[in-house]
Amino acid sequence: MSNSHSDTVPLHPSSQSDIDEIENLINASVQSGPATVLPARPPSPPRASIPVSSTPFIQSQIPPPPPQSSSSNQKVPTVAAAPPPPPPYVGNSSSIAATGFGPAPNTLTEPVWDTVKRDLSRIVSNLKLVVFPNPYREDPGKALRDWDLWGPFFFIVFLGLTLSWSASVKKSEVFAVAFALLAAGAVILTLNVLLLGGHIIFFQSLSLLGYCLFPLDIGALICMLKDNVIVKIVVVSVTLAWSSWAAYPFMSSAVNPRRKALALYPVFLMYVSVGFLIIAIN
Amino acid sequence: MDLSQPVEENYANPKTCFFHVLFKASALAFYILSTLFANSFVIIFVITVVLAALDFWVVKNVSGRILVGLRWWNEINEQGESIWRFECLDQESLARINQKDSMLFWWTLYLNAVAWGIFGIFSMVRLEVDYLLVVAVCFSLAIANIIGFTKCRKDARNKIQAFASRTIASRFSSTLQSAFSLV
Repeated sequence: MSNSHSDTVPLHPSSQSDIDEIENLINASVQSGPATVLPARPPSPPRASIPVSSTPFIQSQIPPPPPQSSSSNQKVPTVAAAPPPPPPYVGNSSSIAATGFGPAPNTLTEPVWDTVKRDLSRIVSNLKLVVFPNPYREDPGKALRDWDLWGPFFFIVFLGLTLSWSASVKKSEVFAVAFALLAAGAVILTLNVLLLGGHIIFFQSLSLLGYCLFPLDIGALICMLKDNVIVKIVVVSVTLAWSSWAAYPFMSSAVNPRRKALALYPVFLMYVSVGFLIIAIN
Repeated sequence: MDLSQPVEENYANPKTCFFHVLFKASALAFYILSTLFANSFVIIFVITVVLAALDFWVVKNVSGRILVGLRWWNEINEQGESIWRFECLDQESLARINQKDSMLFWWTLYLNAVAWGIFGIFSMVRLEVDYLLVVAVCFSLAIANIIGFTKCRKDARNKIQAFASRTIASRFSSTLQSAFSLV
């Protein structure tokens, strides 16, 4: 079946068959217009990092595709997402006809360093979006659309290391407990929201809870450097408030308003217990 | 990695293959030989998990692309739903992928997961919960990559079939049109 395709000369944008394909695709996409509306925000190049994930496909909500619409679904948004937006038909023809499966050349063949830079900049931007006071936050409930788990991973490990370093005895246990508490806590908190009938994406929420650990990381670092109890209490309370403030909008917008407290209380509880862990370590 | 046998093809991307295997092997090796290197569990944990995470990243972003031409990721669209996206090279390039690269890729992926599974069983039997934590993290990273790439490969096959059938249909209809226009 694919022999007819590969018998011909390698696909070239100017071949007649390609132009037929293009016309058909364009007709198909025009007909199925509403289904293939491009995302309203400026399409970023397809992102590519999902670092830590245990069962990534339980929550997947791939719309069950009739083969026609799914391939045109995937084609049109991804073709348009190819940066920079190609000139109407010339650019499209080369990317549709030559690849047929999305903007392959752009991310599939980019140099490794580009990927690294892209991921690093995403971590920084996510951090700024979530944690730092930003009067122009578009909609805190929709923060972290480009979730990634590298940031949370670094922050959890850093917190564990800091706590472990501050501890004078039982360093290993402290680290293991901190890591397990934070990781399991994030998972359980997310499940809590889901079971309360809230609407969040599993990994988005994990990512958010991890990023909100950043203030506690700073607090733990300061407490490691200065050993005074009063200083520790003050620092921890400040950072705790900051963490909770950062996590609040996302969590509260995800659930029914009457159940807000049920969703938020465990988050607060987890950060308080981490705070206590920081204070109590000596 | 270069076999220099003129009859078979060599690895097309020896450096990528090397890195693909390097982090997996070093995570496993470090875990096994950990007692030789460090007394503290914390160091073992951090280094093993960091190596496993680096391996995850390398496989997902670099060797997946280069060795088998596949990539998968997750996006959240405007409505707040999560969509899994799969991307693959066009059919020509897929056909040109080096067989050795591809076999190395998939085999090491599976073997890595199996190895961590075995270690997990060992630590469960010995009731070492600490090490079970390490193994659980590494194992879940390995499984995530396996599932991601397998789904991506299936998706690529479906796309190829759909594309091919649509091409045939379009060719057929354009032939009909040109036939009728001549009449």
